[in-house]
Amino acid sequence: MEFLSLLSPELFLFVVAGVIVGIVFGAIPGMTATMAVAVCLPLTYSLDMVNGLGLLLGLYVGGISGGLVPAILLNIPGTPSSITTTFDGYPMTQNGEGEKALKTGITSSLFGGLLSVFILFFFAPVLADFAIKFSYIEKFLIILFALSVIASLSKKSMLVGIFSGVLGIWFSLIGTYDISVGGNGETRLMFDFMEYHLESGFALLPVLIGLFGLGTILEEAEKGVKDEVQSVNGAALSAATAKAGKFSFSVFKGQYVNLFRSGMIGTFVGMLPGVGGSAASVLSYTQQKNFSKDPSKLGTGAPEGVIASESANNGLTGGALVPLLSLGIPGDSTTAVLIGAFTLQGLQVGPLFIGEHLDIWHSMVVALLSANIAMFLIMFFAIKYIARVITVPKYLLYPIIIMMCVVGAYAINYGIMFDVWTLLLFGVLGFVGSKLGIEIAPFIIGFILGKSAEVYFVKSLESFGSFTIFFTKSPIAVFLWVLILVSIWFSIYSSKKGSQA
Amino acid sequence: MGDSFSKLLSVNIDFEQSHMFFPKIIMWLLFLLFLLIVVLYGRKFLEDLKAGRRSIRFFEENFDKIRLFGTIGVVILYFVLMDYVGVLFPNTGLGFLLVSIPFMMSLSFLYVHDLNKKKTIIIFLNSIIAPTAAWYILGNLFNITLP
Repeated sequence: MEFLSLLSPELFLFVVAGVIVGIVFGAIPGMTATMAVAVCLPLTYSLDMVNGLGLLLGLYVGGISGGLVPAILLNIPGTPSSITTTFDGYPMTQNGEGEKALKTGITSSLFGGLLSVFILFFFAPVLADFAIKFSYIEKFLIILFALSVIASLSKKSMLVGIFSGVLGIWFSLIGTYDISVGGNGETRLMFDFMEYHLESGFALLPVLIGLFGLGTILEEAEKGVKDEVQSVNGAALSAATAKAGKFSFSVFKGQYVNLFRSGMIGTFVGMLPGVGGSAASVLSYTQQKNFSKDPSKLGTGAPEGVIASESANNGLTGGALVPLLSLGIPGDSTTAVLIGAFTLQGLQVGPLFIGEHLDIWHSMVVALLSANIAMFLIMFFAIKYIARVITVPKYLLYPIIIMMCVVGAYAINYGIMFDVWTLLLFGVLGFVGSKLGIEIAPFIIGFILGKSAEVYFVKSLESFGSFTIFFTKSPIAVFLWVLILVSIWFSIYSSKKGSQA
Repeated sequence: MGDSFSKLLSVNIDFEQSHMFFPKIIMWLLFLLFLLIVVLYGRKFLEDLKAGRRSIRFFEENFDKIRLFGTIGVVILYFVLMDYVGVLFPNTGLGFLLVSIPFMMSLSFLYVHDLNKKKTIIIFLNSIIAPTAAWYILGNLFNITLP
């Protein structure tokens, strides 16, 4: 119980602050949980590890949860993961049951979140223990598996998904082949005049902040930065506070299986690298439709739809942390930003993390638990005020976000202007790339894992001298190849099925 | 037979050139994937294009030119000036503060629709208060390096 000494009242203060800011980000359409974590990272530079993580985990939970507010009240998902919440949440608002829908969603979020924390707590150490035995070969195969999973679940096509991931790897290789990992210290993939700035490659955080902060704002700017929320807010807000649809916990009667199944789906989808919350909630929503006693009611304002969607997208939070803390592979784009926070504090996430930093691991679990509870209390009792937050105009918010992006990028390496230009470069790249069909999630995962993939790959070949080693090293290697083939087969199978339908 | 097969799969990496070993593989992979995408989807794409089901329009229809390119322009100006002014007041973060205020104002005025007196006042207040608060809290309380 050594970690109890780390649990100061401060930690809870930071968690609550994170949750509140996160809810605001989540509730405003066009701003996401990932953006919240990326923008608030500079605040953690001077905090210690535990408090910093508390803040970021609060932001994560709050950001994912806040998305349900505009989804239910305005039919606009606040974050991608609350798309399925609009299917039933908004019809409920139209029937005068806005408050009921909100509180149903909030309670389901709490359940999904808590469930995923328990799974994280019991599952991550087991997976990490298993992964400790991995040599470079298995580690390389794990990365290959991660990329194949991302690609096979990508929205458009597997090929484009893989292409995006490999492109991410390419960007990560720019810079020096570092001597500290056994490289020869030569720079590559750049022209001579770039050597001064790019000696150590592009820094992770400016890249992330650029893609998720500035990139998103450029997309909005193209659409003219319209405040769609303001024009409709009056009617929707009064509908939400109408007393007609009073909430009571009896909504959940007969929905326990749904609640549990959706939370589990969310958690396990969260564990798959690069698969975001939208996939989790869509999957559990369709499952609920399959199992529902009266499927025709779904989509017309059935609370069970809101339950399925919200329980799943909060289940994601704990799930996405499992591969991050046990293998060092982020489960979604928000946890990818969290990797940045760990690196900042000089901590390496991977199989050894939990064992070596037991106190931090325990306080993370406590922070995550309290973030979920804080989210519930804040949203449940202050929902009317939060509902007003979504009317804050973007022309005031976006300049603040860009300013915070700049602070984050500049301060990361203690004042390097090149990092700020990286931010701009990747903001524009993200904007142009997504137009061309490049997918951001695989790109980011590739970018984060690229350098390690190189070391594992090249060092394995240097010591064994043959490609065959990747197949013959151990039973685990063979098993990983089976997993890789299954994920590729799954993708081809589902795309064939999709084109027939 | 088996011997020549295992020779085919064996590699010897020259340490002097090892920094290009993996990047070369990645670039070949990118190239092959690109070819595969062109071969597999290219024809359908062209057919769709001819039939008018798809357009090669890069921007959205009636996209907001002023706001999009204005954003990029203002941001570039912001970064350049911040560096320039920051040098005048080293280690105080004043460059950041002094440049952020006009930056926020211009971006807000760029984004706002139906400007009126009330909105103007709010924008002015926001552009002064937000950077000052950020400068004070981050730079002075949290000791974060600012330009």
